[in-house]
Amino acid sequence: MIRFVLADLRRLWAASLVIVLLVALATALGVAVTLQERALRLGSARAADKFDLIVGAPGSETQLVLSSVFLQPAALPLMPGEVLTKLIADPRVAWAAPIGFGDNFQGYPIVGTTTALISGTTTGFSQGQMFAREGEAMVGSGVDLPIGAEVKPMHGAAGEGGETHAESIYHVVGKLQPTGTAWDRAVLVPIQAVWHIHGLGEDHDHEEAGHDEHEAADHEDEAGEEHHHGHIDADAPLDEDFDHEVPGLPAVLVKPKTIADAYALRQAYRTGEGTRAVFPAEVLTGLYATLGDARAVLMYVAYGAQTLVAAALMLIAVIHVAQRRKQIGALRAFGAPRLAVFGIVWLELLLLVAIGVGAGFGLGYGAAEFLAGLFTAQSGVHMPVEFTKSDAALAATFLAVAALMAALPAALAYRQSPVEALRG
Amino acid sequence: MLPLALSDVAISFPGLAQPVLSIDHLEVPAGGRLAVTGASGSGKSTFVNLVSGLERPDTGAIRWDGTDITTLSESRRDLWRAQNVGLVMQDFHLFPGLAAIDNVLLPARLARAATAEVKSRAHELLSRVGLARPEQSVETMSRGEMQRVAVARALLRRPGVLIADEPTASLDAEAGAEVGQLLLELANQEGATLIVVSHDERLTERLDRRIRLADGHIVADTAMRASS
Ligand SMILES: Nc1ncnc2c1ncn2[C@@H]1O[C@H](COP(=O)(O)OP(=O)(O)OP(=O)(O)O)[C@@H](O)[C@H]1O
Ligand SMILES: [Mg+2]
Repeated sequence: MIRFVLADLRRLWAASLVIVLLVALATALGVAVTLQERALRLGSARAADKFDLIVGAPGSETQLVLSSVFLQPAALPLMPGEVLTKLIADPRVAWAAPIGFGDNFQGYPIVGTTTALISGTTTGFSQGQMFAREGEAMVGSGVDLPIGAEVKPMHGAAGEGGETHAESIYHVVGKLQPTGTAWDRAVLVPIQAVWHIHGLGEDHDHEEAGHDEHEAADHEDEAGEEHHHGHIDADAPLDEDFDHEVPGLPAVLVKPKTIADAYALRQAYRTGEGTRAVFPAEVLTGLYATLGDARAVLMYVAYGAQTLVAAALMLIAVIHVAQRRKQIGALRAFGAPRLAVFGIVWLELLLLVAIGVGAGFGLGYGAAEFLAGLFTAQSGVHMPVEFTKSDAALAATFLAVAALMAALPAALAYRQSPVEALRG
Repeated sequence: MLPLALSDVAISFPGLAQPVLSIDHLEVPAGGRLAVTGASGSGKSTFVNLVSGLERPDTGAIRWDGTDITTLSESRRDLWRAQNVGLVMQDFHLFPGLAAIDNVLLPARLARAATAEVKSRAHELLSRVGLARPEQSVETMSRGEMQRVAVARALLRRPGVLIADEPTASLDAEAGAEVGQLLLELANQEGATLIVVSHDERLTERLDRRIRLADGHIVADTAMRASS
C-alpha cells in the first residue's frame, strides 16, 4: 500500500508539492509566532537575570528597566548622587553600582559603571583584564573592537549621531565573555570617566576651569542639550569611592544580600523621596502580558490561515477522489478490499499533511531563528529559539485533526461503487 | 474451476420500464467456455457485473459452485471476487507510474495476499503472456502489451473463473488476436471457467458456446464445435 501511495504521489508531484507548501506555510506561521514569543520571553528574562533591583529617579519604571538592562537609549531623569552613597553603605546591600549613559561609539553604547557591576554580572574575560585607569575601557563580547583599540566617545545616544568629545580617548583593555545580554554590545568605562567627560563630579587633581560641576548635579537631564565639556584624565587611577560629592545618576544597580533584603530595599527606595526602585523581573512580567496579547492576535491570524488551508485541502481531496472514481473502482473490481481503498486515500492525504507539518515546523524554526538573529544583532540580547513539549503536542494535534479530516474523502472513496466507476 | 448457475435473475434501473437484464436460467459447467454477444446496450456488461459480483440483481440467484453470491454482503462479495474471479476489461485499468510487475501484484498486495509464491507467479505469468521486462513502466507500453499485463493480473490468484468484457475491442486486429489466443490458452492451462463478452467473431467462435443477448434477454444459444 505504501509503495502504491508513494508512486501515486510521485506521479502527482506538482499538486502534492503545492499541498505540502500550503500546509507548511500555514504551520510555519503559527510555529514562528510561538517560538518567537517564547524566545523573546526567555531571552529578556535571562538578560535581566543578574539585575536584581534597580534604583532610579521617579519616572517610567519600564523605561528605567529598558535603559539599564537593555541599554535602550533614552533620556532618563537623574537622582541625587547621595543615593548611591547610601546604598553602598546599606548593610542589606551586597554591592551597588552606578550606571551612566549618554555616549556611544560606532553605534555601541558607552556605559559608565564600576568593577563591582562588571564582576557581579559577567562570567569573566575572554581577553585582557578589567579597566584600572580612567582612560581604559572594556568591551562586551559582541563589540567588534580588538584589545588596544581606541574608543572616541560621541555624545548622544547610539544611532543619534552627535559630536565627539575630541580630546577624550579610551583604550580597550579587556573583552568580556558573552553573557547573552544587551551588555554584550556595550563599551564599559569607569563611571568617573563619564562624569569627567561631561564635566561632572569632583576631581581633586584637575580643577577644570570654566565648568560648573556642582551646578550640573542639579540638572535633571544628563542626555539633554546642556553640554559641559570636559575630558578624561586617561592615566588617573580608578576611584570607586562614592562616599562624597557623587554627581546625579540615572540608575543604580543593587545586589541585595537576601530576597528579604531585596523586598525591604525596594520598599525603602520606592517610597523614599526622589527615588524609585524596581525589580526588572516584575516589570518584564508586565510586559509579557502585552506580548502575550500580541501573540494571541497573531495566533488567531495563524489559526485562520490554518483553517482556510484545511478547508481548501478538503475541497481538493474530495474533487480528487471524484476525479479518480475510475481508478478507485478498478482497484476494488480487481480484488482490493474496501478498507485498502479507504487506507490509500487516507494515507495519501495524511502523508502530505505530515510532510507539510514537518516542513512547517522547520520553516517556522528557521524564521524564528532568523528574526532572533536580527534582534540579537541589534540589541545584543541572546534569543533562545527552542522547541518544548507543548510544540510536540501541537504537531500531534495537527496530525490528529488531519487524520480526522482525511477520513471524509477516504470514506467517499470507500463508498464508491466499483460498477459505477468502471462504466463510461 | 467453477460451475455457474443463474436462475430467475433480473435487474432493472430506476427510470427504465423494462429490466436491463432478465435471465430465467443459464448454466455453465466448470471449465466451460462461454461467449456473450449482442448489440450495444443489450446488457452484456450488466451480465458481467452480475456474475462477477460487482453488482447485485434485484431478484434471482447467481450460484458459483453452490455459493449464491447474491446473498453476500458487499465486502464479502469483494473478498469472494478477489479469490475466485479474474477480470479483464476493455479499458485495461492499469495504474500509471507503476511497473508491469507492480500492476500485476497491486490488488494482491492491497489484499495482503502477495506472498513470495504469489510474487514468483507474477513474474512467471508475465513471461507467459510474452512480456520480457517486468520492470517496464506501464505507460510506456503498447496497448496490446497493456492488455497482456491485465491478463496476467487477472490470473495471479488462480481464479476459478476468468471473465473478460470486450478484451480485444480497443486493440488492433493483430494484437487483439494475440490477446484472444492468450485468454483461451491460459484459461485452459489454469483450468478456469471462461466467460468472454465480445463482438469479435474470430474470438467467440473459438469458445464452446455462444449466447446472444437482445434487450436483456438471451435470444440465441449456440454450441460451437470445440476447436482449440
Ligand atoms: N446504472 C444504470 N442506470 C441506468 N441504466 C443503466 C445502468 N447501467 C446500465 N444501464 C443501461 O442498461 C443497458 C445495458 O447496458 P450494458 O452496459 O450492459 O450494455 P452492453 O451490452 O455492455 O453495451 P456495450 O456493447 O455498448 O458495452 C443500457 O441501455 C444502459 O443504458
Ligand atoms: Mg459493455
